[in-house]
Amino acid sequence: MDLSLILEVGDLAVGPATPGSPPILDRISFRLHTSEILGIYGESGTGKTVLSRALANWLPESLEYRAGRIIFAGQDILKKGACEVRTGRDIAYIGSKPQSSLDPTVPVGVQIAEKLHSVRPEWNRRECRERVIQLLGEVRIPSPRERYWDYPSKFSGGMMQRAMIVDAICAEPAVLIADNVTQPLDVTIAAQIVALLHDLCLRHKMATIYLSSSLPTLRQFGDNTAILYQGRFVEQQPFAELLAAPKTDYTRKAIASVPRMWSEADGPLVRRPAEGDVPLMRVENVYRTYRARKRGTFNSYSNVQAVRGVTLDIMPRENFGIVGESGCGKSTLTRLLAWLEVPDRGNIVLSGTSLASLSPRELIRKRNEFQLLLQDPYNALPPRTTVGRMIEESLLIRGRVSRADLRSRVVAAMAEVGLAAEFYDQLPNALSTGERQRISIARALILDPKLLILDETLSALDQREQARLIDLFSKLQEKNDLTYVFISHDLAMVRKVCTRIAVMYLGEMVEIADNRQLFFDPQHPYTKALLSAAPTLEDKLFDPGDFLLEGEPPSPIDIPPGCSFASRCPKAFGRCRVEIPKLVEQSPGRFAACHLLDAGEAKAAA
Amino acid sequence: MTATTIIAAEQDQTPTRIQSVNRRILLAAWRMPSFRVGFFIFVALLLVSVVYPEISSVSATKMVVKDKFLPPVLLGEKWVWEHPLGTDQLGRDMLMRSFIGLRYSLLVGVVTVVLIFIIGCGLGLFAGFKGKWWDIVIMRITDAQLSIPMIILAITILGVSRPTVPTIIIVLALSGWPLYARVARSAAVTERGKEYVRGLRVLGAGDWRILLLFAAPNILPPIAFVAVLDVARMMIFEAILGFLGLGIQPPTPSFGSIIADSRKYLINAWWIATIPGIFLAVALTSINLMGSALEKARNRIYGGL
Amino acid sequence: MLILEFLGKRIAQGLLIIFITSLIIFTLLRVVPGDPVRLIVGGMAPPDVVEKVATKMGLRDPIIVQYGRYMRGLLQGDLGQSYLRPRSGMIATGGQYIDPTKSDMAPVIDLILERLPFTLQLGGMALLFALLMSFPIGIAGGLHQHGWQNALAFGVQSLFVSIPNFWLAIVLILFLSVKLKLLPALGYQGFSYVLLPAFVLAVEIAPFIIRTLTTSLGEVMQSTFIDEARVRGLSRRRIVYSHALRNAAVPLVNLLGIQLSTLIGGVLVIEYIFDYPGLGNLTVVSVVGRDFPVIQGIAITTSAVFVFINIIVDLVAYLIDPRVEI
Repeated sequence: MDLSLILEVGDLAVGPATPGSPPILDRISFRLHTSEILGIYGESGTGKTVLSRALANWLPESLEYRAGRIIFAGQDILKKGACEVRTGRDIAYIGSKPQSSLDPTVPVGVQIAEKLHSVRPEWNRRECRERVIQLLGEVRIPSPRERYWDYPSKFSGGMMQRAMIVDAICAEPAVLIADNVTQPLDVTIAAQIVALLHDLCLRHKMATIYLSSSLPTLRQFGDNTAILYQGRFVEQQPFAELLAAPKTDYTRKAIASVPRMWSEADGPLVRRPAEGDVPLMRVENVYRTYRARKRGTFNSYSNVQAVRGVTLDIMPRENFGIVGESGCGKSTLTRLLAWLEVPDRGNIVLSGTSLASLSPRELIRKRNEFQLLLQDPYNALPPRTTVGRMIEESLLIRGRVSRADLRSRVVAAMAEVGLAAEFYDQLPNALSTGERQRISIARALILDPKLLILDETLSALDQREQARLIDLFSKLQEKNDLTYVFISHDLAMVRKVCTRIAVMYLGEMVEIADNRQLFFDPQHPYTKALLSAAPTLEDKLFDPGDFLLEGEPPSPIDIPPGCSFASRCPKAFGRCRVEIPKLVEQSPGRFAACHLLDAGEAKAAA
Repeated sequence: MTATTIIAAEQDQTPTRIQSVNRRILLAAWRMPSFRVGFFIFVALLLVSVVYPEISSVSATKMVVKDKFLPPVLLGEKWVWEHPLGTDQLGRDMLMRSFIGLRYSLLVGVVTVVLIFIIGCGLGLFAGFKGKWWDIVIMRITDAQLSIPMIILAITILGVSRPTVPTIIIVLALSGWPLYARVARSAAVTERGKEYVRGLRVLGAGDWRILLLFAAPNILPPIAFVAVLDVARMMIFEAILGFLGLGIQPPTPSFGSIIADSRKYLINAWWIATIPGIFLAVALTSINLMGSALEKARNRIYGGL
Repeated sequence: MLILEFLGKRIAQGLLIIFITSLIIFTLLRVVPGDPVRLIVGGMAPPDVVEKVATKMGLRDPIIVQYGRYMRGLLQGDLGQSYLRPRSGMIATGGQYIDPTKSDMAPVIDLILERLPFTLQLGGMALLFALLMSFPIGIAGGLHQHGWQNALAFGVQSLFVSIPNFWLAIVLILFLSVKLKLLPALGYQGFSYVLLPAFVLAVEIAPFIIRTLTTSLGEVMQSTFIDEARVRGLSRRRIVYSHALRNAAVPLVNLLGIQLSTLIGGVLVIEYIFDYPGLGNLTVVSVVGRDFPVIQGIAITTSAVFVFINIIVDLVAYLIDPRVEI
């Protein structure tokens, strides 16, 4: 490994341009060599983005450099006259919002080539184009020559991030700054990107600064890691040593706050099935397809198959989890469960009553029994409405209620979720995220439901608030005999909370099992891949190397015949591409849909 | 997230005063000097045009031929204090005529905009929120209406019957509502997709309830703020109609007809053409200043939310 | 392929709109009071003469029948003949009675075609002037949202939008034509006659362009990708002109489509004031004279122009920004 020092930062301080205000970054120092990867951990709000921009000499107008030096290849780039060092060419930057990083009106490849030509004018346009196409292929974008001409809106998040990587490395920079690049991506895609980045950095001998708010991600790089807290580096060590012997309290807390999935052998208590238990909600083979008009054509439509033949039983008093990545159809399934949309085929039965058979009036009454809590606490509540009025709405929809009665019932509901009664006449603007979620819970609870569906409800919260709400949920469950359905992409949360879990992929359920069984003995290859990609500091049960998936899920418009996972499955064989595997009860309470599990096939494939 | 908001997210959120969005827009507009200037000028003009003709004894319509072609104060010869802005070809006082003309202008402008707002937004909200057939039908009607320029409609209807204030207002309203319908409709479609609407549906609320109680109060105020600008637009249209002879009929003064008549006397009595135009321009400028400031404030507040 | 389908769909819709517009105007003319026959035969003619002429002209048939007849002619490219203008020469003014059913009246389509080029020239020059005025101010205002450039753009736009077009026309005629004798005013005897009317019209259009440019350019400059283009190494000039302006142009193009109606109205008034021999002038005279066929012909032409330009506008918007729905 080449040990030449490429970047040295000394006592860097950055603060707002208004004099007298406290600095955002202070006394940042480190040294970086070619081919070395420096990881920087910082929670949101600690100045991580400011640091990444400062290192790229890209501060916004409201900030300025207060002190220190950034020496690149012997030149202090902060001094006037150091114009040979150009961002884009010598120092490259990749951000966390790939979808909004490029001009939406110009094809992606054209823009990358334009950038390349701008920073390396000695290469002519055709050379630039060829180089970009070659790099697009190197980052595993299929059909690079065609995709060169596609517009940004045609790229998925993962693909776009790959394109931005190409954009960053095409000019052969010596230093690469990657700021939270996998944050918006799904777990399995993020795993691919991280592996890709690592590989590229080594191959092109780039010095890399990798900033992240997730310690598990930094673990994958292993080199020197710095912890950023309140604008300073509080610690700087190689990662393994950091884990083993953290020097500061903050680091210790940060390590402790990473959720553990594998360490405890037990999950939440499995619900004790009572005799003669009848499912609270039965989902019977539901299908939902959307017709989208093909762009620009008169009447040619494409069918987006969002949910394909899902069958579930949700038993009383259990915490049922549904996990899946984006595009798997869980949002559509959520809407079907909440009966916001009606399935095209199949039925949903709640407490013995088929929802499809109800008249609109009966439906409103039946809605008392099952409610939906939404994800985004800021947008899920009607604007410019007071807290009390929002909760009142649940009752007012159903008819006249006397003023006094209304108020007392709402106050009671607020008390039950832990909202102080004085919030009644206030607008929710001043409330925290957790408190806003409680408003949503209150207005659902006031109807005295039996089933609560939570659509990523805990995703927007930090660990502390999450823990408090989970606490509240279990209390309410005891008191009101509630059943929960959690829909989420966060495996760690699901592991902590759910008794039984279903895994969804491209509109279908591929596995349903108890918490412990799913995490420690998954049967479906996709489940294994998902678990192996989930970020955690512990030693993984499943080696990511074995289960790293290729590419992206097929589009729900164009689902290939046979098993929808076959295109990415490391163990796919002939039958997989022809026949759709059925969700079969492999053992009591465990369902999986995979041809490999058919006893005969397993022997044949082995 | 833009460059500037990175900083905001990085530091502690200082709790903002709980204030209605609309009040914040009004306050932000008020802080702009352009708004205040426009506001005061407008109020002044309004008061004067309402009050002055009542208290002054000068007539706007009585012809006093011996006083014709008196120039404004201090300009030319033969001016008198009695007629500070001069007289026209029939000896009528220009100041008084201008104020009366302003009255009618403002009346037509404001009433038309109110009408357009109610009809246009009503239909647009309905089309956007209910969707499907209503949407298609109403949008096609707006298309057809938009393809008939106001002038042609006006000439066709007003060119043959004697134009009165109500008919003028109706013609202007007919040509103006489609724009509001379009804007309201696209706002309604956006609103319909918002999370809180879904939340209310889950609770069991029906479309009408959501539209009237929650969506409309959210959609309408921003449109209303910008509607101020249209008052000016309608006032110009009223003047154009007057100019073509399709507006308020003489002897009742209206800016357009005064200016139209003045063309014959352009060289000798240039003030007959210029004075009403200046009045109109000042009134319009004040409205435009207010309206633009409101629009800027609205964009800023909504952009920052 | 996509574009062909788009064109096909829009042309079909356009024809429908033209059809509806012509039906509306057709009906309106016959429903609103004001009998053309009266104007033709003169106020003195006895009622039975009026009736005889009217029936011969087909004006007493049910509206549907009249419309059917008109449509049939239209499909053969015949827009009918003027009630007022004979094939050669000007309108007879007062006194003289020309029986439109007897003498050879000017075909409407000829009347329109001979005036259309003038109107198009006026519109084109006006648009050119407007763009020349608006772009520098608008771009400067958009790039410096808090600087004097923005205040200037705001001021210019407020001023222009508050000036009634006809008043400006009169004032300019007074000063530039009569007092200073720099530019000709009325009628048309050479290209210089289009300059003053085009300028007045441009002042009417310009404020909307300036306003849209400053706002949308201001917004685009705040977007993430513009910000990020800097760290990717693109020069400021390239960022502004190749990317920011491109994105800001789409709302502008849409605006032009919507403003078209207003523009047509403006052209009409300007032509009237300047006695410019275009379609607008023809319209005013025809409406006052209740010359139904000419009015209908103009309405159809206007509608067609409107539809055509809107299709172009949408196509251009799509070519700039492929996310646009077409």
